[in-house]
Amino acid sequence: MNNPSEARARLIGGRAIRVDGVDKVTGRAQYPADLYRAGMLFARVLRSPHPHARVKAFDFSAAKAVPGVVGVFCGDDLPSPGLYGLNFADQSPLARTGGKVRYVGDGVAAVAAENPQAAEEALGLISVEYELLPVLRDMHSALAPGAPLMHENRPGNILHSARLRHGDIDAGFSAAKVIVEGTYRTPLVDHAVLQPESGLAYMGEDGRVNLWVATQWAEEDRRQIAEALAIPKEMIHEVVTTIGGAFGRREDISVQIVLCFLAIKTGRPVKLVFSRTESMLACTKRHPFEMHYRAGADEDGKLTAMKIELLADAGAYASTSLVVLNTAVTLATGAYEVPNVTVEAKAVHTNAPVTAAFRGFGSNQPNYAVEMILSRLAEALGMDSAEIRLRNILKTGSIMLTGQKLEGGVGALQSLEAGIAAAKELGLDWNRPRAEGRKRIGVGIACGCKNIGYSLGWDDHSGAVIEAWPDRAVVKIGVCDVGQGSNTIWAQITANELGLPLESVTVARNDSDVVPDSGSSSASRQTFVSGNAVLAAARDAAEKLRALGPEPAPGLLPAIGSYTYHAPTTYPLDPETGQSAKPNYGYGFGCQVAEVEVDIDTGETRVLRIIAAHDVGRAINMTNVEGQIEGGYLMSQGYSISEEYPLVDGKPRAASLAAYVLPTSLDAPEIVPVVVEEPDLYGPLGAKGIGEMTMLPTPGAIGAAIHTAVGVWLDELPMTPERILRAMGKL
Amino acid sequence: MSLHRIKLTVNGRPIDATVPGSMTLLQFLRDELRLTGVKDGCAEGDCGACTVIFNARAAKSCLILAAQADGSEVMTIEGLAGGAEGALHPIQEAFLEMGAVQCGYCTPGMLLTAKAFLDANPHPTRDEARLAISGNLCRCTGYAKIVEAILLASERMHE
Repeated sequence: MNNPSEARARLIGGRAIRVDGVDKVTGRAQYPADLYRAGMLFARVLRSPHPHARVKAFDFSAAKAVPGVVGVFCGDDLPSPGLYGLNFADQSPLARTGGKVRYVGDGVAAVAAENPQAAEEALGLISVEYELLPVLRDMHSALAPGAPLMHENRPGNILHSARLRHGDIDAGFSAAKVIVEGTYRTPLVDHAVLQPESGLAYMGEDGRVNLWVATQWAEEDRRQIAEALAIPKEMIHEVVTTIGGAFGRREDISVQIVLCFLAIKTGRPVKLVFSRTESMLACTKRHPFEMHYRAGADEDGKLTAMKIELLADAGAYASTSLVVLNTAVTLATGAYEVPNVTVEAKAVHTNAPVTAAFRGFGSNQPNYAVEMILSRLAEALGMDSAEIRLRNILKTGSIMLTGQKLEGGVGALQSLEAGIAAAKELGLDWNRPRAEGRKRIGVGIACGCKNIGYSLGWDDHSGAVIEAWPDRAVVKIGVCDVGQGSNTIWAQITANELGLPLESVTVARNDSDVVPDSGSSSASRQTFVSGNAVLAAARDAAEKLRALGPEPAPGLLPAIGSYTYHAPTTYPLDPETGQSAKPNYGYGFGCQVAEVEVDIDTGETRVLRIIAAHDVGRAINMTNVEGQIEGGYLMSQGYSISEEYPLVDGKPRAASLAAYVLPTSLDAPEIVPVVVEEPDLYGPLGAKGIGEMTMLPTPGAIGAAIHTAVGVWLDELPMTPERILRAMGKL
Repeated sequence: MSLHRIKLTVNGRPIDATVPGSMTLLQFLRDELRLTGVKDGCAEGDCGACTVIFNARAAKSCLILAAQADGSEVMTIEGLAGGAEGALHPIQEAFLEMGAVQCGYCTPGMLLTAKAFLDANPHPTRDEARLAISGNLCRCTGYAKIVEAILLASERMHE
């Protein structure tokens, strides 16, 4: 950074300081739990202690008798059916008499009280009679013939199946010189957002309910609240507060429906704040996958065939598991071109927490398996592990497993080459393990591919409205800035188009009365989709402002520019073949090189250095792009070596951060981000997305590095000391 | 339930209050004094989001009972800037310039840990800075720019 102040001043591609930064460093930024309203009640939700049970009866009499308790409610107090869900409305916020609870943490009943102590006391006095039901502890139990049904309309406990046939799999394996296969497993993990779920709701004098909450998509919250409570969406006014991290966690309903219900029912403002334990018990997780891969390569290391089976654990309710499974299928061969592929995939219900969106959205798991397979094929061929990747990496013109031909904006080879070059410069060599006392140090390289945006025919769009005066502008857009810095780049793009200093552009609060719908902050889509909306709206506003002449009459101001951007059309997968001309309109690629130290006595693993080369199309804010690389890498390191939320017969062993091993500053290696800019064909100013891509190569890179260091191939995440020692034959 | 009278100084202001025995300092600061810059991330001492400066040392306010704070001096994030309206502490400036803030939830705790650390160790090494914040979890940044910001702040505070 030769000239920091110049970099900060540069509007596109520089290091503008984030527009919400001062509020965050002074403590002025308000997250939902920071809101107070006179006369507000405190709510608590009773959660199921059982993984699978039918609710026979409720007795609220003792709870209601606690002084200060205003009401105790259950699903019977909601309209019927009173369900919500992102793909299918199958989840009730509170249990009904005769209804079922399907995981430990499922919502049962709710209390509203004058103070938190009364709410807590009442919670402990709610009596529920359960009839315990057999627990489906894992996918194989759920799939077994005769297994009890989680949902009556989902035979075999299968939520969704998908299959893919590309090329000629038998010919592919016949042409292979080496064939490698393996079963790979990934765990249930928690987003562990720093800010536990919380919100505030109150009735307005206009008879609408006002909800203040941290979410990823206000419009979708409102749709589900309206459906569950049988009220028009227009009666729900939602304001998005500052958000304390999301990573997919805030896509699903958490506090919203219960809060609106209690506010409407009591007529009082109501605040609901989850404890960390409640957040871990009740809220969504990443899908555990069990994957079987069989892959062949010819003598030149070219992949000839992959036969893939994917089982995804959908947990108790549907959420977005259907879409997650589809994502897994469309990305099941990772960053490589494979001419002959079959995929059989199923999403299966178990009595486990709801699995849903989590940074990567079903791409991380297959990508991990693919990278381990590539590394093992290289070993079988006696080929360099970077070389085999160079020979198979996707390029412009490549045909993906879905039959999609990649038109452009394919930064895969560039990311791989950048990773290789950076490794060479830093002296990281995946062919040269070394020993230092009881430590063995190895290096591993891996790639990754993740789609940008909504897929398979969904109309991915975003609206922006910009009000412009000669000396300032206001951007109105329905994007949730979850911490990635989206508000900042709208201000940058707008300032750049209008010729204004950054400080003169304000991004309006995400208020459903004020801003258009911009879709969710997910799928690494906002820079692309909303960036295009802002760019077009800003150009529209600039043109209108220019048309008013050099000294516009105040009555004619502001000039208002607006645009709704629709991303390029995508198409669903053929149900038999999984083929689609365009399942996604864009992809982001990455390559990571990990230097890992393993202690041969304890199995403890430390990542010493990581190179993370990621293709972003164009970096609009370089600091924020690096922030995504650094943060996404470390989250994926946790996924790779330490994080898991284990269940024993459907019951979590622990729901606290003491037991859930998140990376601290001492676990962070030296991170070398390399930003690759291969302009996207359709992204604003060539930019695309980065948020999820940064997680993909990590498990494969660390897994390969561990193999280089101590000679064992692991096939299950997290790669804990126990698993390493067991693989080494020491346990 | 027992009640306790406490007198303490918070961000330079004298406070005189009566608190239940079970109330934590975190709850007192947020719910009684409305200093909502102090964050609750777990209330169990695992995440560090609730860090305040308690008698010149960084401490997790969820692990201190309000009653224990009698006679103490507490600084929360609201007291860090101090001075003229709008003037930020060098550590706050450094966090902004280096991009050490993303969602911001860990930020108040991080800043106060950093301040207490730099007050005690004005010229730290990178490893010392990493160790100093090892009790503050961050899920967004990977800690990289936070550490750089602390090192930048240490230069600025002593130039």
